[in-house]
Amino acid sequence: MTRWAMVADLERCVGCQTCTAACRHANATSPAVQWRKVLDIEAGSFPQVKRTFVPVGCQHCADPPCMHVCPTTATRQRDDGIVTIDYDICIGCAYCDVACPYQARFKIDAPHFAYGDSAMQNEIEREDPRRLSVAQKCTFCSDRIDFGLENGVTPGIDPRATPACVNACIATALHFGDIDDPGSNVSRLLREYKNFRMHEEVATEPGFYYLYDAADHAAHSGRGADTAAAADPVAGRVRTRGVEPWHQQHWDWKAAGNFLCGGAGSGLYISAAAAALDGYPTAMLALAALGIIAIGLLLLLFKIGRPLRFIYVLRQPQRSWMSREAWIVGVFFPAALIALWFQSNVLLAVAMLLSLPFLFSQAMILKEAKGIPAWRAPLIVPLIVITGLAEGAGLFLAATQGLAPLAPLAHGTAVALLILVVARTGIWRAYLNALITTGAPTRTIETLIYLRPWFFAFGLLIPALAAIAAFYFPPASSPLFIVAGLSAFAGGWAMKFILITRAGYNQGFALAHTPRRGAGVAGPPVKPGWTVSQAG
Amino acid sequence: MSARKSNSDRTISTYCYQCVAGPDLLKVRIQDGAATEINPNFDAAQIHPAGGRVCVKAYGLIQKAYSPNRILHPMKRTNPKKGRDQDPGFVEISWDEALALVAEKLNGARAAGLLNAQGYPRVAASFGGGGTPTAYMGTLPAFLAAWGPVDMSFGSGQGVKCYHSEHLYGELWHRAFTVSPDTPLCEYLVSFGANVEASGGVCGVKRHADARARGMKRVQIEPHLSITGACSAEWIPIKPKTDAAFLFAMIHVLLHEQPRTRLDLAFLKERTSATYLIGPHGYFLRDPATRKPLVFNTKARHPVPFDTSGIDPAIEGDFAVDGIEAGPDNEETIHRDVTAMPAFAHLVAHVKEYTPEWAAQICDVSAPTIRRIANEYLDHARVGETIDIEGVTLPFRPVAIALGKTVNNGWGGYECCWARTLLPCLVGALEVPGGTLGTTVRLNRPADNRWSSVKPGPDGFMDYPMNPTSRDQWIAQPPARSIHRTLVPLVANSAWSQALGPTHLAWMMQNEDFEHIPHADPPDVWFVYRTNPAISFWDTRAVGEAMAKFPFTVCFAFTRDETNHMADVLLPDCTDLEGLQLLRIGGTKYVEQFWDYQGFALRDQAVPPQGEAKDFTFITTDLARRTGLLEAYNGAINRGAHGVRLNGQNYDFSLDPAKVHDVEAIWDATCRAASAEITDGAESQGLDWFREHGFRVKPFSRLQWYLYPKLVESGLRFEQPYQERLFRIGKELEQRLHEHDIHWWDKQLSEYEPLPHWRDLGELWERALAEHFKVNIADYPFWLITARSMQYSWGGNVGIQLIKEVADNVIGHGSVVMNESAAAKLGIGDGDIVEVASPLNSTRGKVLLSEGIRPDTLLMIGQFDHWATPFAKDFHTPSMNALMPMLLDLTDATGSSADLVKVRIARREVAA
Repeated sequence: MTRWAMVADLERCVGCQTCTAACRHANATSPAVQWRKVLDIEAGSFPQVKRTFVPVGCQHCADPPCMHVCPTTATRQRDDGIVTIDYDICIGCAYCDVACPYQARFKIDAPHFAYGDSAMQNEIEREDPRRLSVAQKCTFCSDRIDFGLENGVTPGIDPRATPACVNACIATALHFGDIDDPGSNVSRLLREYKNFRMHEEVATEPGFYYLYDAADHAAHSGRGADTAAAADPVAGRVRTRGVEPWHQQHWDWKAAGNFLCGGAGSGLYISAAAAALDGYPTAMLALAALGIIAIGLLLLLFKIGRPLRFIYVLRQPQRSWMSREAWIVGVFFPAALIALWFQSNVLLAVAMLLSLPFLFSQAMILKEAKGIPAWRAPLIVPLIVITGLAEGAGLFLAATQGLAPLAPLAHGTAVALLILVVARTGIWRAYLNALITTGAPTRTIETLIYLRPWFFAFGLLIPALAAIAAFYFPPASSPLFIVAGLSAFAGGWAMKFILITRAGYNQGFALAHTPRRGAGVAGPPVKPGWTVSQAG
Repeated sequence: MSARKSNSDRTISTYCYQCVAGPDLLKVRIQDGAATEINPNFDAAQIHPAGGRVCVKAYGLIQKAYSPNRILHPMKRTNPKKGRDQDPGFVEISWDEALALVAEKLNGARAAGLLNAQGYPRVAASFGGGGTPTAYMGTLPAFLAAWGPVDMSFGSGQGVKCYHSEHLYGELWHRAFTVSPDTPLCEYLVSFGANVEASGGVCGVKRHADARARGMKRVQIEPHLSITGACSAEWIPIKPKTDAAFLFAMIHVLLHEQPRTRLDLAFLKERTSATYLIGPHGYFLRDPATRKPLVFNTKARHPVPFDTSGIDPAIEGDFAVDGIEAGPDNEETIHRDVTAMPAFAHLVAHVKEYTPEWAAQICDVSAPTIRRIANEYLDHARVGETIDIEGVTLPFRPVAIALGKTVNNGWGGYECCWARTLLPCLVGALEVPGGTLGTTVRLNRPADNRWSSVKPGPDGFMDYPMNPTSRDQWIAQPPARSIHRTLVPLVANSAWSQALGPTHLAWMMQNEDFEHIPHADPPDVWFVYRTNPAISFWDTRAVGEAMAKFPFTVCFAFTRDETNHMADVLLPDCTDLEGLQLLRIGGTKYVEQFWDYQGFALRDQAVPPQGEAKDFTFITTDLARRTGLLEAYNGAINRGAHGVRLNGQNYDFSLDPAKVHDVEAIWDATCRAASAEITDGAESQGLDWFREHGFRVKPFSRLQWYLYPKLVESGLRFEQPYQERLFRIGKELEQRLHEHDIHWWDKQLSEYEPLPHWRDLGELWERALAEHFKVNIADYPFWLITARSMQYSWGGNVGIQLIKEVADNVIGHGSVVMNESAAAKLGIGDGDIVEVASPLNSTRGKVLLSEGIRPDTLLMIGQFDHWATPFAKDFHTPSMNALMPMLLDLTDATGSSADLVKVRIARREVAA
């Protein structure tokens, strides 16, 4: 087998950005779209400071989360390990962007030129409208590799078959080759040098290795080299601008709207359907629940880059939870509508059962976004499911006060809501503690900690107190039930909205080691913009 | 990947020489007639030290060609008033009108006499980038040669932005206009702020990466953690401008803490003047018969001329000898039975007080660290070992010392350059494999070969073309407005000397007179190419105001900028990818450009000239015709003023001097002559051949990287450690100046010491600023320094979007870099907008907090405070250039100043 991989020698890289510029040329990317770039990371405290230059870009993972989440099959993996994007299939949902722990993907919606609105001759020649509003990233210059393979020259050795960044690298810090071939240039380097891959903990098996020291350092230390003074920099302050996790750019309030409406809508539908099965007239409520879900899905449609291709979302149910969500919707909505039309309890029960996997699929969409530490945490799944149920129950409780036939259900709903909000708070606490314990982007933690008292107040305290008070003060029960229900609902929405649009910081970048630099010594790990893992 | 298949897809070979660390070779991809990609030229992989690659700057050239901000037509100023606040009112004119206008002014100047009433050339020219514009100006040098005297002394960075002291002292001591470690063999490098990873070009970057992989230890000593510091084994944050103390302490350790036997005594005795006896007045004691310096032969216990064979000269001891001292103006003193010590012994005594403990107080670096570095340097020197280079056995001394820009210009430059050259002498590491090398000559001649420039001079040293200081030859009437030949003997009189200056004096003279020097009117005609002194000099406000008074300025212009804002005519020349030119490559050039090959590369036209841009050679030829200088111009081309002599021993491709030749004809003849030169007349392929192949080379002996074998062959010595010649010349210069009642250069005269003493440069700077501006200098507690950027340095590429985009990935661009703790004390946070003020001026910018900088130092990378250059004027980036006053007190004897200033900082806006 063949697996193409990139090897970046941190010992050699000087951060000059020649690879960045060469990539911009070779791939005719738009201004600021840098499939390859070099980070400049400073770590330590004066005067014990290390500064490291780190080439980054698509890591062409063996187990690429971007491919797993892609609902359309636009992102695929070749047999030789290269992860590709088919611009003609991609709908521009940007799920891959939030799934990538390496921030390697870009999406731009309008042509960008170097100097304002008018394109220069080279930009006109190389403009590619297929790339607009879809995902794009480093291809390992696969066209060159294919050219090489077709013409019998070795990628990574012959410049015609080698990625532009590698060709351009003036420090010969970048290398490219087949790591499955033990005799290849890159296999030799990986034997001769200590190396690491970025974010091993995310377990995507990147095809991008960083060299940081000779395997036999002692032999390289040089005669009489006294490195005592070049002591390890303490892992102190890290100059973070540009290298700390930044907030994901593509899933905005419209994308959040799908999770808000989907959760509350399916929760409400479940409450309404359960009541209907018990004989209560909840058709309007069920219809409203479906309407809420539909609004969420419509918002999503407006958000994706290529809405006319939305149907492609169904192409990948084998792997993508976004695709699965679409399929479930495709069954759930007709079932629910038919159940309403025919007043069929059987179909109602089926639809009610289908709304649960819908809610679950929404939770799984977030969990599979491996690029966002706040989303990929396992407890996100029960949290999203239970808050959906709580929001639905809250809305239903409020509805019982407006719709007279449902009034008898108020107390039972209130009890259910009480249980749900308590459970939700418990899961939230566990979720947040787990994030703090395992480490997460500092700003994610800051955001969630800022949210914590408000969520406690509106998500638990007010609904619980209001519901309990309603039991003890029947005269005021109606407004109290409304307050309890709406507060539980609003608390859930606010939590999800913040989770998606405020706490969605990406993985950022990290080094398992800083390089030794000649006769120096390799340094400790650096992880800019992260809280230190309390789990050790 | 292109969206559509191109109908035509081809590549054009050319070169990049945007920075002094070039030239390097590249290929341009042309799709459907549009240049779309810059690529390395892998055809040159085997002959180019960096494998045929070019640095990031070259990738900006496509945008440079197609930029919508280009000036695409000749333009004429319509507003006679000049100044930053004036709209020049440029209007398009035809080339014929533009060149007629320029020719009219030139003819007027010629008719009035080439020199003005004050004796200064009526025509002046400023070119930027350390001589690199020559690689783009086609045959303009032939026109200038045909014209006669041209004042090249209006500086555009020289002296304050260049490695000035190194240029002058380096050429004197080892034919080293630029100095480099022998990186391919070096094992231990002490680098005082030399930012080779940013300014060493692709050859430097590749070689240092190889050296790191080999295990070379580089210790980077500088106030901030530069790119180079980042790539070094160790960073030592030294206090700004105290490097000389560190270096002196290293010398102390070698001479006072280590046994003599660890030094390369043979080198010192045979290849330096360490053994020369020094007389009571500080001059060599000379043999009365031969006037040769005396040494004390320990075998016969008797003084003999230094070049007596079969002797073993003493390097230490007191000896009673007879001899003559030759002082200034040939004043001789006869000594009988006087006690004398060899120069080495004087050196030992001189550095006795310069202990690491002494230096530690000055440098803010611990004494054990300084001592350790000195001892590591000695440990790695491998004294006694040899290496085979092309069949010749040479000493192998893999240790070197590199100096950065601000270390080796201005006050302190002499001390640092001296110590940097002396330290290798102590271990025999000067100009030998692994050691400290020079890589080019510009003041000595011939300039294309360091070995050929080695000619016997006085006292066993190499000759040096000092400007005369004798009573009858001293040049009292300055031939250029920088007064360089009058004031600076070391700057010599090559084509480069004027541009080395003290070039700021030319600007200062536009506002003030220097006593007993003729007042300097502005030049009648000033040509400007590839430089922007209104941005890239010191006290840029004063420079801008001075140039606004120039009556007629012609700027070759790519876009509008701050200097051509004052122009009368803008001429759009072909940019890098549009013009045609043949250039010498390889051999030994600047920085780390020492190759195993030498030859020629073609700059071919990859992009058709945009708009009405014209090739430089066309413009020049037409000006020659219009000024009646065609024959002289063609003659200068035939003599090789544009780079290649058109005739040789068995070939002649000379142009008919009487005819106007088109651009291709000139370069075709040049290509043929180059082919003939490189093949000793055997071949004569012309332009078409070079267009197909891009370059042609022949081997260049690696032995020529080293001056040592040539010195051995010539029986010559390095002029170290004792600067008797400079001492004498300084005294003569003092007498000449005082005879003419010139006393304003007295401070500079104090630099002519045979063994330099430590000077407190911080105090010197503070006093100069305090006295001149009447400020309390304690209000200005920070040193403001700068650093080179690979993306920008020398490139003139500030208006190129791609360069800005990728430079922003390198932290520090566009900001004031400040130590976190120092900022916290002043309540300054990351991203705050601050005002940085020197006593002269202030600048504003965003703060970037860093742990990689000393608390007493601020850093501004590059030089940006553009207000006219399209694109760049929107950067809102701080620049130190407007903050640095041009002061005589800050000018050293070589006519340069260091690129730093004392400042204060205050927050103006809190970060959003």
